[in-house]
Order: sequence, then C-alpha cells, then structure tokens
Amino acid sequence: MVSSEGSVLIVTEVDKNQEILPISLECVTAGKRLAEALGGGTVALIMGAGVGEAAKEMTHYGVDEVCLVDHPDLTAYQPELYVAAFLQVCERVNPRAILMGDTLTSIDMAPRVAFALNTGLVTDCVAVEVSDGEVSFVKPVYSSNVMAAYTFASEPYVVTLRSRAEEAAERQETADAGVTPVDVKLDAASVRTEVLQRVVEEDAGPKLTGADIIVSGGRGVGGPEGFEQLKELADLLHAAVGASRPPCDLGWAPPKSQVGQTGEKVAPSLYIAVGISGATQHIAGMQSSKKIVAINKDPKANIFKIADYGVIGRWEEVVPALREAVSEIRK
Amino acid sequence: MDIIVCIKQVPDPEGPQDCFVINPEALRVEPRGIPPVLSLFDENALEAALRIKDACRDQDVKITVVSAGKKLSNAVLQKALAVGADELVKVEDAAFESGALDSYATASILAAAIRKIGRYDLILAGRQAADWNAGQVGIGIARFLDIPAVTLVRKIEIQEGHALLERVTADGYEAVKTPLPALVVASNEVGEMRYPTMIQRREAKKKPIVAWGAADLGREGELRNKLVLKRLFPAEMRKGECMLVEGKTPAEAGRNLARRLSQDGLI
Ligand SMILES: Cc1cc2nc3c(=O)[nH]c(=O)nc-3n(C[C@H](O)[C@H](O)[C@H](O)COP(=O)(O)OP(=O)(O)OC[C@H]3O[C@@H](n4cnc5c(N)ncnc54)[C@H](O)[C@@H]3O)c2cc1C
Repeated sequence: MVSSEGSVLIVTEVDKNQEILPISLECVTAGKRLAEALGGGTVALIMGAGVGEAAKEMTHYGVDEVCLVDHPDLTAYQPELYVAAFLQVCERVNPRAILMGDTLTSIDMAPRVAFALNTGLVTDCVAVEVSDGEVSFVKPVYSSNVMAAYTFASEPYVVTLRSRAEEAAERQETADAGVTPVDVKLDAASVRTEVLQRVVEEDAGPKLTGADIIVSGGRGVGGPEGFEQLKELADLLHAAVGASRPPCDLGWAPPKSQVGQTGEKVAPSLYIAVGISGATQHIAGMQSSKKIVAINKDPKANIFKIADYGVIGRWEEVVPALREAVSEIRK
Repeated sequence: MDIIVCIKQVPDPEGPQDCFVINPEALRVEPRGIPPVLSLFDENALEAALRIKDACRDQDVKITVVSAGKKLSNAVLQKALAVGADELVKVEDAAFESGALDSYATASILAAAIRKIGRYDLILAGRQAADWNAGQVGIGIARFLDIPAVTLVRKIEIQEGHALLERVTADGYEAVKTPLPALVVASNEVGEMRYPTMIQRREAKKKPIVAWGAADLGREGELRNKLVLKRLFPAEMRKGECMLVEGKTPAEAGRNLARRLSQDGLI
C-alpha cells in the first residue's frame, strides 16, 4: 500500500494513445527535487479507464511509487468524478505537495482540488526553487514582465508546472517502483454537470506542440489570405502554422494556433515570426525556440531584439521570394 | 434572469515592460504611465453575458458587475455599464490590494459579495486576471457558494432551469449541460468585448453603482491567504544576436534568408 506519507504526488496525464505526456515527465523532475527538500518520496498518480499499461510504464521514471486509479467512469476527464477520485487518493497518500502539468485539464482540475483541500495553488509555475530548505515556486506575472516567488501558508502545496520549465525525467530500463491500485468509490449519478457530447475538431496540418519548425503570423499579415501564403511556406518546410493573438481573435487563424501566454508554449528548432511585433505575451510562448526569424517592416519592432535572424521589409514581398527559394533548395 | 459578472481592474497589461515598476520591499508592482483597464479575460466573460441578454430579448435579463479591489475607478468600471451591464457593485478596501490578496482570499470576498447581492442564476468570471494570472477565482467562488462550475466555456445557451455550454478541450469541445445557478468561466475564445458608443458611455453614468467595504461583507481583518508572496523580480527576456539578412529588394532579402537558413542547417 501507499507508504510514502508526506510525499509529493505527481498527477500524470496520458494522451489518447495512453502515452504519458512529456509535461508529466517534466513534473517528475521537479517533483523529485521538491521531495528531497521536503524529506519525502514521490508518488506518480495515473487516473483513467484502461490506463494500467501507462502506470506500468511510469515505474521506469524514477518515482518511488505509482498509484493507479482505473475506473470505467473515468474514461474522459469529468471534473466532479476526477476530483472525487483524486480526493480519495489524497486521503490515502496524504501528500505534502501535489504537482500537475499546466494542461487544459489541470487549468480546470487544479483549482478544484486546491479549494476542496482548503489550500493554496500556484499555477503556471516556471521554477521550483529550493534554498536553505525553503521551497519557493516562481511564476510570471504582469504580462510576463515580472516574476513572483511564492511559498505556502497551507498544505498540501498545489502547483501546476509550465511545460518545458524542467527537463523530462529519463526512462530507465529497470523499474524500481511498484504499481499500487487504489480503489475509489464514484457515484456517476451525483454528477451535476453532464457532458452530452464530445466533439473533435481536427484542424489540418501538423500540431504546434512537437513541431520542429513553426511559421507564425501576426496582425501584420493582414487577413486570412496572408495566412494561406504562410501555410504554403509551412507546407514546404513541413512546419506547423502558429499565430499571435490578433489573428486568432479576428478569425484569420484557428484559436488553437495561438502562441503565447494564453496560448501554446512552443520550443521548435526554428520559429519564423511574420508581421508579429513581439509583445511580451507573445514572447512568453516562443522564447525557448532554438532559433527565431523575424520578418517585419518596422526596424524598431521588439521582435528583432529576441530574434536570431531578421529581415526588415513587407512580408508580401519577402515571403513569396523566401518560399520560392526554399522550394528551389528543397528540390 | 440574474447574471453576475466578476470583473477585475488591472493596469493595462499591454503597456511596455518598463511601466511595470517593481517595489521589491513592499512586494508590489507599481504601474507607471499606464491607465487601469478592465481585465481582458473578464471582458470576455462580460461579452458572453451580453450575448445571453441579446438572445433573450423577450426576457428580463439583469447583468450585475461585481469588482473587488483597493482603488476602483468609476470611469474605468463604467465601461462595463456602457456596453450593457445594468448595475455595478464595487467592493473596496485598503486591504484589497491586488498583490496582497491571493486567489483563495479573492474568491471568498467575491463569494461574500455575491451572497449579499443575493439573486443569481448565472455567475461569470474570466479565465485569469491579466495582472497576476492565477486563474482560480471562478472555481473558488463556485466552491464557496456550493454551485456547479464549468470552465473554458466559449458558448452559452440558457434553457429552462439549465444552461447548455460549449467547453473548449484540447482537440475540440464538449457540450455540457449544467443546472442553474452555476458558475461559468469564460474562455478567451469567446472573443473581444463589443465597443460602447458615445451615447452608451453617457447613458452609463446614470446606471446604479453600489459601493461596499470589507465591513459590509463581514470581512474585516484577516485576509485568509493561502500563499505567501516572497519575492518579485524582473523577468529575463531572451536575447538574440539578430543577424539582419539584407538584399537590394525585400524579395532578394527573402531569397538570401532562405540561403542563410539552409547554410546554417535550419531548413
Ligand atoms: C492578458 C493578455 C494575454 C495575452 N496573451 C497573448 C498570447 O497568448 N499570445 C499573443 O500573441 N498575444 C497575447 N496578447 C496580446 C499581446 O499583448 C499583443 O497585443 C499581441 O501579441 C500583438 O500581436 P501582433 O504582434 O500580431 O500585432 P501588433 O502588435 O499589431 O504587430 C503587428 C506587427 O506587424 C508588422 N507589420 C504590419 N504590416 C506588415 C507587413 N506588411 N509586413 C511585415 N510586417 C508588418 C508591424 O510592424 C508590427 O510590428 C495578450 C494580451 C493580454 C492583455
């Protein structure tokens, strides 16, 4: 049974194919450091239906224990059932800290858990710092211009970690941890908010997360026609198309292509920013890119301050020539 | 139908970096040269409420905006009345400074204010405040009032005694049915709030504003924070050594860029 009283509980998420999300492995790295500071162990928790394989896989990442909650009512995320299951696990594990990745699920679940446990929550944490035995959690505030470091006045600490804030834990051949199944009692009939339907809206083209190259457009692209042109360039480069906020708000690009503080946090090898001024809220989502190219007609645009390559000019002239030259090179 | 929208007043989040002056001793960010505005995501929430009002023209829909803070500006908050909210409730106290309240304390203050308002079928909040970005208050309010909460909602349709919602997910959306009263956290995908006309701005000045203090809510004294702010420091921005790729024409620069990227093994 779950032995590690006072441990760090790491909420592990899996994708549709039951693969563990990279962010969950990044949480393991932060979780181990945190556990060391708190003098406890690490417990990874996997909740869902038919997630036994993922739990077994999780034992390879250096956590002390893996808790498995496998229940038919947990097929897809439903806040009331997931939180009910989670709170039952908490009663057993009695964690001092709970770590989750900053995902769409945890945006919903983490505050529910924190309020239910009468404790605090630091969301979008980018650094878990330990100094003189005190642990603090750092997050960007004020449009990513300022960093704030928090400690807790309550326990357990609940923290959601931004993706790529930590290296992912490495897989080891040997699996030291065991899998502990935890039985939970759920009452699906008690659910107040009922999911009537789940609709998948697949958009064409490579996904932003995981893309090696991203071609991203801003307000300067001027309209949906401009985005068509960026798409052509992206196709040649096998790249995904991203956007700053205005094109998403204006319907030139799908909302899910938004990069930045409120959108996707990306770190491709190459990020090509077209007609993007470089507001801090945008930079917050792409500054970890290995190389950044800026195409902008305004030589004073902020984006040039963080870019590695720049072309000053109207994209209408620069991009078609760039595309032709790329297609020549690719031949 | 009574709708309450929670709106925070924040310093304009799109101001340049040097406007956000850090006072490390007082643990405060002191905005310089930027005006206070309605927090962007709360505008999304108000827009969602206004769309309900548009859709239910045959019904009596009342939108009350509630805002808590230290120094709230009528001029700023009246924008909410100008676009179509009916009443404003300000909860002001010297202790309610943005950085001094964590989400737990904020949610409990707003929940107390909403209890005092008394009538609500739907409560709306934005996904996070544009200053401290915590993203928790909506769910906290629902917890304190013991009503269901649905987050990241891009569309709301009111029916008899319940609401049908579209909740954004990683690969699409969920259609969710919730009984009322409920709390809904609006997603940024709702889109920008409408602009008020000059006439609406003028008319807004006649709409009622209720002002409460901590004492009116029985909330003097302890703030009930769960987090302790320890340190504030400037964020480090990435520094690029930007190599300008030039050409006789922008088109030539574009071609040179392709060559450069190819030489450097990037494409
Ligand atoms: C709370 C909050 C959260 C936010 N979250 C995000 C977020 O997640 N992501 C995000 O991106 N933004 C976000 N924003 C918005 C952000 O502050 C900026 O407003 C936005 O990033 C600006 O987008 P932009 O650079 O495309 O547009 P602009 O700032 O308008 O810049 C357009 C650029 O295009 C250039 N240009 C114009 N015409 C041409 C041309 N023909 N050829 C070449 N260049 C041209 C201009 O010189 C200019 O630099 C957020 C804002 C707030 C308040």
